[in-house]
Amino acid sequence: MSEVRVIQVNESIFAENDRSAELIRKRLTAQGTLFLNFMSSPGSGKTTTLVALINRLKGSLNIGEMDVDIESSLDAQRVADRTGIRSLQIHNGGLCHIDADMTARALLEYDTEGLDLLILENIGNLVCPAEFDTGAHKNVTILSVPEGDDKPLKYPLMYQVSDVVLINKIDALDYFDFDLEKAKERILALNPKAIFFPISAKTGEGIDEVCDWIRKELEAVRSGKL
Amino acid sequence: MEKAKIIALKESVLEDNDQDAQALREELRAGGTCLMNLMSSPGSGKTTTLLALNRAFDGRLRWGVMEADIDSAVDADTMLAAGVPSVQLHTGGMCHLDADMTRQGIRALGMEDAELIVLENIGNLVCPAEFDTGAAINMTILSVPEGDDKPAKYPLMYETCDMLVVNKIDTLPIFDFDKEKMESYARARNPEIEIFYISAKTGEGVQALADALVKKVKEWNAR
Repeated sequence: MSEVRVIQVNESIFAENDRSAELIRKRLTAQGTLFLNFMSSPGSGKTTTLVALINRLKGSLNIGEMDVDIESSLDAQRVADRTGIRSLQIHNGGLCHIDADMTARALLEYDTEGLDLLILENIGNLVCPAEFDTGAHKNVTILSVPEGDDKPLKYPLMYQVSDVVLINKIDALDYFDFDLEKAKERILALNPKAIFFPISAKTGEGIDEVCDWIRKELEAVRSGKL
Repeated sequence: MEKAKIIALKESVLEDNDQDAQALREELRAGGTCLMNLMSSPGSGKTTTLLALNRAFDGRLRWGVMEADIDSAVDADTMLAAGVPSVQLHTGGMCHLDADMTRQGIRALGMEDAELIVLENIGNLVCPAEFDTGAAINMTILSVPEGDDKPAKYPLMYETCDMLVVNKIDTLPIFDFDKEKMESYARARNPEIEIFYISAKTGEGVQALADALVKKVKEWNAR
């Protein structure tokens, strides 16, 4: 009797992506680079927050940044102009997210050797980016006050996959009906381990605390705890 | 409070969404119904704008709303509480609606005599722009806190839309939002786009938007 060949076909594209992501993570861990993936809605302040964080950290850390956009190069240019660090613009040609393979391809173009911190600014989208592991050590999502405290109810996966939630534009709290406690409660219901930082990228409030967290995570990567 | 009916949408198997969307548009026009697809980022104020429009319509339109979300029924519950017939559509994690999913929603809403049906799409500036839902009018909302550069970064959304509503203009004094820059980005993509400035919260500009919409809907349905 001839042997029947069995082919497993039910493995998802996500499994393949997860493997690529794991390779990226291992490589960056081995070279001592912390890799953070920043996600949020369009206009919640990713670039402004990154500029504030990078300017605070660049004296003590060697930082690289990759910016994903559909076709404009506004963000990478802004980061480069306002921080002086090396920034790479990735155009993904209309796609709604970036996955591990796209990150790996970008990393071929971008020398990360010697970086303490590598930052990925994802496409502004609360749905699709949450589905793809990019190889980052930690996922950070930004929720801005004007978007409202109900976002975790409507986009649950984003909050489930995020290790840290930055609540941005807190300088505008007086103008909006945003209940900080309610937002936290809703996020914790989805992800009990979520860490919060209320910030204003504009005024600088809360930025130091986020920087401290980043330094701690870098230590964790270097001591083999991440 | 009346609770919204929740419809779990099935993923469509049709190959040609454009063809299906065109067929749906024709069916709706034959039945005297105008479908409007409302798109924006999460949290730019889609539901609040619809509530403000409802007040400004002041009974001039028979209309209903389909609220699409990945999870929760907060939006449809809100519309129902305001007396607008609504159903909640759940996409099961999908980032957009296509024509077939829209058709499932329209069937569930069950308003054959509606002059206007609004599809409140998933909050997303990328994927919904790629799928024709069969709508006669595509509208997008850009809220002031999101910034004036959005039309440069999400160009397809602005190419696809007939009407652009700039919301939360009551917060213009506290954000760096350059109206002229935003308009030039938007018109570079779509010279025909109609732009309205409103605050759904304070009601500013809502009457003009409602009047324009009522006119568009009546004209479409008379064609």
